[in-house]
Amino acid sequence: MSSFDIQRPIVELPDQNPDPEFSDEELVWTDAEEEKIEAWKEQYPEDQAAIMKVLWLAQEKFGYLPPEVIKFCGETLDMSFSQAYGVATFYHQYYKEEKGTYVLDVCTCFSCQVCGGYDILHYLEEKLGVHAGETTDDGLFTVQEAECLGSCGSAPMMEITNGVYVHNLTPEKIDDLIESLRAGEVPSFTSMTLPQDEEELGGNRRTDVESTETYQTQPRAEHME
Amino acid sequence: MPIVTIDGTTYEYEGDQKLLQFCLNQGIELPHFCYHPAMSIPANCRQCLVKVGMPKKDRETGEVELDDDGDPVIQFFPQLQASCTIDLQDGMVVETHRTSEEVEDAQTDNLEFLLANHPLDCPICDQAGHCPLQIQAYKYGPEGSRFEFRKVHKPKRVKLGPRVTLDAERCINCTRCTRFTDEISGSGQLSITNRGVKNYPMTAPGEEFDDPYSMNTIDICPVGALTSTDFRFKARIWEMSSTPSITTTNATGANCHYWVRDNQVLRITPRQNMKVNEYWLPDEDRLVYNKFNDNRPDGPHIRRDGTLAGANWQQAFAKAAALLGSADPERILFLGSAHATVEDNYLLTQLADAVGADAPRYIPHIEPGAGDDWLITDDKTPNAEGCERLGIQPIDEQLVGTRLAEGAYDLVYVLEDDPVGSGLCSADDLADTDVVLHYYNTTNETLPRATAALPAAMVVETVGTYVNQDGRAQRVRPAKEIQGVNRTLMMEMGTNREDEHGTPFDRWHNDENRINCKPSWEILPEVAKKLGEDLDYPKGPKQVMDEVQSTLEAFEGATYDAMGLKGTQLEDVEAGAAA
Amino acid sequence: MEANGTPQSPAGDWRSYERMLLPPIQDLHKLDVYTKHGGYERLRRVLEDDDVAPDDITNEVKASGLTGRGGAGFPTGVKWTFMPEPDDRPRFLGVNGDESEPGTFKDRQVMEYNPHLMFEGILLAGYAMHIDTAYVYTRGEYTDWIALMAEQLENAYEAGYVGEDILGSDFSMDIVLHKGAGAYICGEETSLMESLEGKRGYPRYKPPFPAQKGIFSCPTTINNVETLAHVPLIVQEGGDAYSTIGAEDMPGAALYGMSGHVKQPGVYEYPTGMLLSDLIYDVCGGMARGEDLKAVVPGGSSVPPIRADQIDGLSMNDESLGEVGSRTGTFCPLVLDEETDMVSFTRRVAHFYQDETCGQCTPCREGTGWLENILARIDEGEGRMRDIDLILELCDNMDGGRTICAFADGAVGPIRAAVKRFRDEFEAKCEASVYPVSTDVSAGPDSAVAATE
Ligand SMILES: Cc1cc2nc3c(=O)[nH]c(=O)nc-3n(C[C@H](O)[C@H](O)[C@H](O)COP(=O)(O)O)c2cc1C
Ligand code: SF4
Ligand code: FES
Ligand code: FES
Repeated sequence: MSSFDIQRPIVELPDQNPDPEFSDEELVWTDAEEEKIEAWKEQYPEDQAAIMKVLWLAQEKFGYLPPEVIKFCGETLDMSFSQAYGVATFYHQYYKEEKGTYVLDVCTCFSCQVCGGYDILHYLEEKLGVHAGETTDDGLFTVQEAECLGSCGSAPMMEITNGVYVHNLTPEKIDDLIESLRAGEVPSFTSMTLPQDEEELGGNRRTDVESTETYQTQPRAEHME
Repeated sequence: MPIVTIDGTTYEYEGDQKLLQFCLNQGIELPHFCYHPAMSIPANCRQCLVKVGMPKKDRETGEVELDDDGDPVIQFFPQLQASCTIDLQDGMVVETHRTSEEVEDAQTDNLEFLLANHPLDCPICDQAGHCPLQIQAYKYGPEGSRFEFRKVHKPKRVKLGPRVTLDAERCINCTRCTRFTDEISGSGQLSITNRGVKNYPMTAPGEEFDDPYSMNTIDICPVGALTSTDFRFKARIWEMSSTPSITTTNATGANCHYWVRDNQVLRITPRQNMKVNEYWLPDEDRLVYNKFNDNRPDGPHIRRDGTLAGANWQQAFAKAAALLGSADPERILFLGSAHATVEDNYLLTQLADAVGADAPRYIPHIEPGAGDDWLITDDKTPNAEGCERLGIQPIDEQLVGTRLAEGAYDLVYVLEDDPVGSGLCSADDLADTDVVLHYYNTTNETLPRATAALPAAMVVETVGTYVNQDGRAQRVRPAKEIQGVNRTLMMEMGTNREDEHGTPFDRWHNDENRINCKPSWEILPEVAKKLGEDLDYPKGPKQVMDEVQSTLEAFEGATYDAMGLKGTQLEDVEAGAAA
Repeated sequence: MEANGTPQSPAGDWRSYERMLLPPIQDLHKLDVYTKHGGYERLRRVLEDDDVAPDDITNEVKASGLTGRGGAGFPTGVKWTFMPEPDDRPRFLGVNGDESEPGTFKDRQVMEYNPHLMFEGILLAGYAMHIDTAYVYTRGEYTDWIALMAEQLENAYEAGYVGEDILGSDFSMDIVLHKGAGAYICGEETSLMESLEGKRGYPRYKPPFPAQKGIFSCPTTINNVETLAHVPLIVQEGGDAYSTIGAEDMPGAALYGMSGHVKQPGVYEYPTGMLLSDLIYDVCGGMARGEDLKAVVPGGSSVPPIRADQIDGLSMNDESLGEVGSRTGTFCPLVLDEETDMVSFTRRVAHFYQDETCGQCTPCREGTGWLENILARIDEGEGRMRDIDLILELCDNMDGGRTICAFADGAVGPIRAAVKRFRDEFEAKCEASVYPVSTDVSAGPDSAVAATE
């Protein structure tokens, strides 16, 4: 969810003359990246189709997508700046402004709502002293309210910076998580073992992942908002 | 021929057609916003919903099933359909809001949604009075709104570029503007940003919407979201009259409307002509409106004792005639003009002939590279083709320039042009030469050297014909009044000005804004008369053009009636073979 | 709830069902494990057997009665027959792995635990429809699973299962992974195509259907990840045999993603047509914390919720759920207990749609926000009685072809049903209104508008 609230519905005009964050010297692709992009172009009948991949690449490279980066991505594929900008602003996961080192997307949607997504969100907000949509002063964490992330069986859950999922959240788990994130340790990928596997596979379907977790009874939400 | 039945009336149609466009072509009004015939169909406004059915066919035999009366049984689609997307099919039956309550309700509901977050600022909105949303809300909309919440606030007064201002709250997200820059002008400068109820069209941050055709988005925007930075808050639409005419900025001859209030041209908008400019008008054609209002002359002037002094028209005609009568015809240079109408140039040719001088030539105004292969041309005049067809050739600028400098002419007779300003010669070159000058603006650089200065009516004040670069003859009509009484102009004003909203009573009349000038087709016969020559066309330019089209093959068929509002295509003539 | 499934369960003897989509094989996601267990054999057989023509596969899928698992439940084999005869245009398969429907988390299991089954299904579908390229459009949040699929896809390429002249035949097909970036609407098939083309994910109106004018205006079929994973199983078992599994109207295996207030949530594989009561009380071990059941949302947020007192004898197939005006949707039931505040719940559902609408069509763009506004007002105790009817009327004004795509239908279906079925809760939250209960806009002095003046 974005910071826009239907009850306080204000859409701000983005800065029309932003000072570029990245200089022209920085806005270049490495040879390896260049090669990737060329390969992506090959995958589609038209180059423009690669824009989503290029924007992802840029977000990984630059951390977020300020206007000059979006423009640069567009140019890479012969798209006008405004077309690329239109695409970038359509999708939530492209960060149009700078975020914290860790973006904590807490799902408060649907299953997570009824299983305590808001409880987790509020716990986090209180713990970090920020509201959803804000970044902590130390620039470490951005807390966001997210729509369903496709992990409803392990609600409440969150995603860290468009990457790893953390399932079956509890306040204790949040405490540990924040601590380890502060120490620079991002949790590793967790495989959720299917309930039916518990008898048949000893609860471990994949031997190649370190961390597995089983589904468990979901909490009931105290706050539904 | 295949048929389609709309609200009980059956129409024949040909080829592949979309239902909405077909209805509009038949004069059946269907409310709509996003559809534009020149652009792709997004079907996003959802205003054009209708009920569509097809004759029911027997599954096995494929025969159309008939009811007891022998009429085909019609099977309606379970859902309403957006008519802009529907392809006509033989036997199709359509019910619009006129016959279907369901459709009527759907249109009302949709307008309620459209207005939910739309500001109710019609009283201060430029679009009011010709706003499709306003009109359709009045016609089909709900009585009031049940939306009792804060409306979404979006950026207002955003200068998208030098010429277009955005009020994003008014936008209904029809995407016409973004489709225009993507599909028509190709600049790709606008895109809808964000998503959902937050979205609105914008340039990318820091980008200028400086597309040379940017102002077309103002015309096609169905609400007041995109307005002209220049025209904003200048006039209400119902205070102005609009006159169908053409622009004279270049050789395209784009069809336009001149919008006039109080005898001042306030804006210029495109007028549809599929043979010329389709629906569009370049920005440069629109921003010239000031030249019709500002720096206009105050009556004729003649040089007395070395200085230009005001005179009355009779004195001016006499002065021009005297100059013509006393000069050696071989030392008179007649300059026709690609700015002037066919009629005026033709009369000039007659006058040159009458005094025994060489045929007029005209000064070309070409800016190589300025054109864009679309509506902007290298040629910055509207009637070079008309001149050529009259046998008026472009001058050899080098040669004539040198001869002027050498003082080879005693008299230069200039029709609606500016030899000094155009660089043909310097003002000093004309020091010992008499000049009769028909001119538009006091900024004319030849004016200080004129011996007789005759203010000429401009395109917005006259009647006449222009031929565009493709050989299309188009006539212009007076959009504003000038001083003095001219029956032809008065009649044309009466019949041609479209007062879309007002009545003749609420036209604004301020005599100060009436320019003391005359059309050249009035001046030239008067000068001829003073010379004792007969150039009399009592029926005015219409009669001149009749003569032109009947005597010159290059203009065959170009009567006023034939040209009408959309012009007439002239036969190709071989270069130079004209006249 | 006696053992062996209640006899009237369309899922039949589900207790002894052996899983096919996610069989209990460790490390099945690895290519060598997959091939050891018969993986890619079906593809090999089809490609090597000269007697198997592409149309035969389509016919098998048709015979199996498989319906799409993306939410709309359209018969897959029938959809495939919409593809025109091959011409010189490229042809595409859009594999819908967007899985953004709230409550839905089952495609991800296929991606993680049996990606090659999906790839094999893609290749078989590609062979059946003469398709040269498949794009797997996966939601951007599934970064880790996309990486896993990419790795396995590379293995499959290397082993010659994907790419040029597959398994020595003259059939070639590419599979391209495409990562979304957080837009629910891109799961809608036409929006998915626009997004793939590198544009804003605005759905397109239909017709023309994807089969006529799809990705880059070329013939295209869009299928859900799970749908395609069924295809190798159908080819293996034969369409007729497959059609005997589960409920008659939408046969086959199904992945049930159970969430909410049950003891053991998670993704379960059983035949279609499981009784809701079996799923909740048997499979998932009953209600968490022993609370009573209040409602079930059987297949993602876009399907209408069902009241507890309606679920007796209801099973997870459209025929059965249709009786109470609901649908199977994505086969992922959310179970709600007695304590759930249905107003808050509905409000959050409305918020989801407000947040995710692409904003293209008027009724959807404006209506979703309006609904959220009203629901928020009621939820905060400031509602008017007439708000309740206004919600229902706005719902009617938004769906049923009023918009380009079915997003609006998905948004208002559950809201309408929740308001109707739990109206008492909404009314209880509304303050006694001074305004008459009327939703007429332009009905003269009695109208709601007149009343507010
Ligand atoms: C708003 C909306 C969202 C959708 N999201 C998804 C989705 O996330 N995943 C999916 O497979 N299908 C989704 N669909 C359904 C697709 O449009 C399409 O019907 C489906 O992918 C077809 O595949 P199937 O026939 O195999 O089910 C969505 C539909 C709508 C209207
Ligand atoms: S600004 Fe006008 S033309 Fe552009 S999308 Fe909005 S309503 Fe349509
Ligand atoms: S509802 Fe939170 S992950 Fe689906
Ligand atoms: S005109 Fe907008 S949907 Fe048809």
